[in-house]
Amino acid sequence: MTRVLSPVPGRVVGLAGVPDPVFAQAMVGPGTAVDPARGPGAAAAPVAGTIVKLHPHAYVVVDAEGHGVLVHLGIDTVQLKGAGFELLAAEGDRVEAGQPVVAWDPAAIEAGGRSPVCAVVALDAGADALSGVREDGDVERGAELFAWS
Amino acid sequence: MSERTIKVESKVGLHARPAALFVQTAAQAPIDVTVAKPGKEPVNAKSILAVLALDARHGEEITLRADGDGADELLAKLAAVVAEAEPKGA
Repeated sequence: MTRVLSPVPGRVVGLAGVPDPVFAQAMVGPGTAVDPARGPGAAAAPVAGTIVKLHPHAYVVVDAEGHGVLVHLGIDTVQLKGAGFELLAAEGDRVEAGQPVVAWDPAAIEAGGRSPVCAVVALDAGADALSGVREDGDVERGAELFAWS
Repeated sequence: MSERTIKVESKVGLHARPAALFVQTAAQAPIDVTVAKPGKEPVNAKSILAVLALDARHGEEITLRADGDGADELLAKLAAVVAEAEPKGA
């Protein structure tokens, strides 16, 4: 059982609340999304494990059970080519759940005309593998978003 | 064994939308299919985790391999996804 934690503080909007059909239709995988609190902060590892992929705008952490979780910071943020994101860890690093991975400012992303909504996706998971998926309400960074069995 | 080497035309590489389309297309087939970067170990093309970790970027070449009934057709479908600059739809 993997407990997947919110990488950011904010308001849970569910995958359907992501303004990108690839995420909203769960094409990447099941999960949820958080509209982050505006202002400078750091996005954290959603699980304890190894950072197998780290881009400025997105990262994947794989835990001891082999469960890989994608955190995607904002929509179309790949176009920023890293501007506005600061890496606080490196690819291949082992991280604790809740450990800061990327520093960013959701308000700056929004000011640039992009949505800062963060998708948190269970990779290669069947939809019925997740339980207790949060779809709304406010969360602190590190609050549980869903469990993955 | 069918094999096909193609260049990634997606501007963002094999990420997000292109990666999801690629994996969905692969997963619809009943046969095993892999994707590899030159000189690297092939990974399961049906795994979004493996494909995202592969990190195939715009302009890079990848090699697809499949074996069994419909292998050629499957590789043609996957090549079509990889050949699109901005893939749309599911």
